[in-house]
Amino acid sequence: MRAIRAILMRNLIKFFRDRMRFIFTLFMSAFFLFVFSFVMKSTAAGLDHPMNYLISGIIIMTVFQTALNNSMNILEDIASGFMKEILVAPIGRWQIAIGQILSSSAIAVLQGIIIVTIGFFMGLTLDPFHCVIMLGLMMLVGICFSSMGLFLAALSKESTTFQIIISIVAMPLTFLSGAYIPTMVMPALLRPIVFLNPLTYTTSVFRYVALHMENLSTPELVKAGVAFDIHGFTIMPYFGAVMVVVIGAIFFALCVNQFGKADFSRVKVFRRGHR
Amino acid sequence: MKRGMPRIGIRKMNSIEVEHFTKKYGDFNAVDDISFTVDEGSVFAFLGPNGAGKSTTINTLCTIQEKTTGALRINGNDVTKDKTLVRKDIGIVFQETTLDGKLTVNENLRLHCDFYKVPKAEVDERIRFVLDLVDIKDWKNAAVDSLSGGLKRRTEIARGLVHFPKVLFLDEPTTGLDPQTRANVWDYINKLQKQKNITIFLTTHYMDEAEICDKVAIIDHGKIVAHDTPYNLKKKYTSTTMKVKTPDPNLLGAYCSEHSMKFLNKDGVVTIFSTDVRAVMEIVSTFKGSIEDIEINKGTLNDVFLAITGKEIRN
Repeated sequence: MRAIRAILMRNLIKFFRDRMRFIFTLFMSAFFLFVFSFVMKSTAAGLDHPMNYLISGIIIMTVFQTALNNSMNILEDIASGFMKEILVAPIGRWQIAIGQILSSSAIAVLQGIIIVTIGFFMGLTLDPFHCVIMLGLMMLVGICFSSMGLFLAALSKESTTFQIIISIVAMPLTFLSGAYIPTMVMPALLRPIVFLNPLTYTTSVFRYVALHMENLSTPELVKAGVAFDIHGFTIMPYFGAVMVVVIGAIFFALCVNQFGKADFSRVKVFRRGHR
Repeated sequence: MKRGMPRIGIRKMNSIEVEHFTKKYGDFNAVDDISFTVDEGSVFAFLGPNGAGKSTTINTLCTIQEKTTGALRINGNDVTKDKTLVRKDIGIVFQETTLDGKLTVNENLRLHCDFYKVPKAEVDERIRFVLDLVDIKDWKNAAVDSLSGGLKRRTEIARGLVHFPKVLFLDEPTTGLDPQTRANVWDYINKLQKQKNITIFLTTHYMDEAEICDKVAIIDHGKIVAHDTPYNLKKKYTSTTMKVKTPDPNLLGAYCSEHSMKFLNKDGVVTIFSTDVRAVMEIVSTFKGSIEDIEINKGTLNDVFLAITGKEIRN
């Protein structure tokens, strides 16, 4: 526990100490919000809460991106040599993995909270109960995609490779999730991928909460794109939440496993410092 | 075992035991069936040219690389099976910097204490103790990135010691340091060794550092080619080194190979290595007419190294 907390605290200290990065994080959040709310205005036309519809999509995208990208941390640690210090310490690799996942989730959630806060000034309406649920969902999404990111980072071991993998993974996940383009308008060919995409369910649950859809009937939910009808079998939003947990758990396990067996000792280290 | 007890009949504890250790990369044997032990509380120097298998051995002992075959133990714990127990007992100062540059000296040490479960009540005191030992108190709250190479090295040594390891690995701890800092670092290491009776496993390019060790092992092409005290090694391999300048070095070279003596013929100067003083005198009397200059030296560890591996250590 102490080791996990130490890694978590270290990453958070580093995040806040890196002023440029922190300011950029704030800037990116605001940028996402303004640009995408402008772009997506037409998709949201005619909805009860257009602002809620837009912002819920943007929050989830931001949390997703941040969580995935924060796994870069360990690649920096490998490059700077600090990874060796961690690897020879008498702590389990799983503890290192959990510490990393928790810290990138925390940073991702923080970014989500910033967007929600900005959103309130732009007409987002949420009551405290929904806020709590959204916070929980953001944490879930953060952990799910931090695990995925760390898994990919442990697999690639190099920042160039990682960047390529991330863009290959992130692009389809983003565009086939319904966050930007409604899933109803996608061709039938792509629909299986849509249903396998954890981000689809994340987005739908998030919208369900943000748009206060508790009172809608099932066909209405399907029509709004937050419930899915797969050949007569309906996936309700809360079942979607379970899907996210399951997919998150799978990636978490994969990540801890991959991290545990990855051989970081032969990774080329840039000789910095006294050399 | 208490100090001062008679040694007869009592086996001294081995801190490090390596038995028939082999590491293969594909078909290539990076380390080829080596065995050695290091006594508890002693200073052991592990020397070899680059690529001889030093780093592989040290990395395997530190549990960050897997062996192919053999058995390696630290304080009786197997480095493959009991990784966590081994890791608790060892401290490592790697060749390259492994500090977190964005954190301060204090934060780096604190993080290390968290990893090694140093009792929380002791953390502050221990950090003060090691900072004092390597004399970097004044930089306690400075970011590591802002420190000079020497200060970074000292921070790294302080960190390797803060959890009071029983065995300390120093992988070229003084490479890249100026002579003054190098001397200081050794002062700290010696001070510490006296205070805590820890075992030190050292690799270095500097032969004067190896001179003060209790035992020296030389590894070349993955095999241990010599393992003894510095004194015995020098006695065995280097009684005399003679440099002779002569107009016809090839003739002298031919004479040496005829008498099966090791020699180097470089830039018109023939360096002859001989363990037999009489053979050396014989050369002098045979070639006395044509010797332009002569220099006779008592052997050093560097000569031991050169004699065994045929290479300068800093190749």
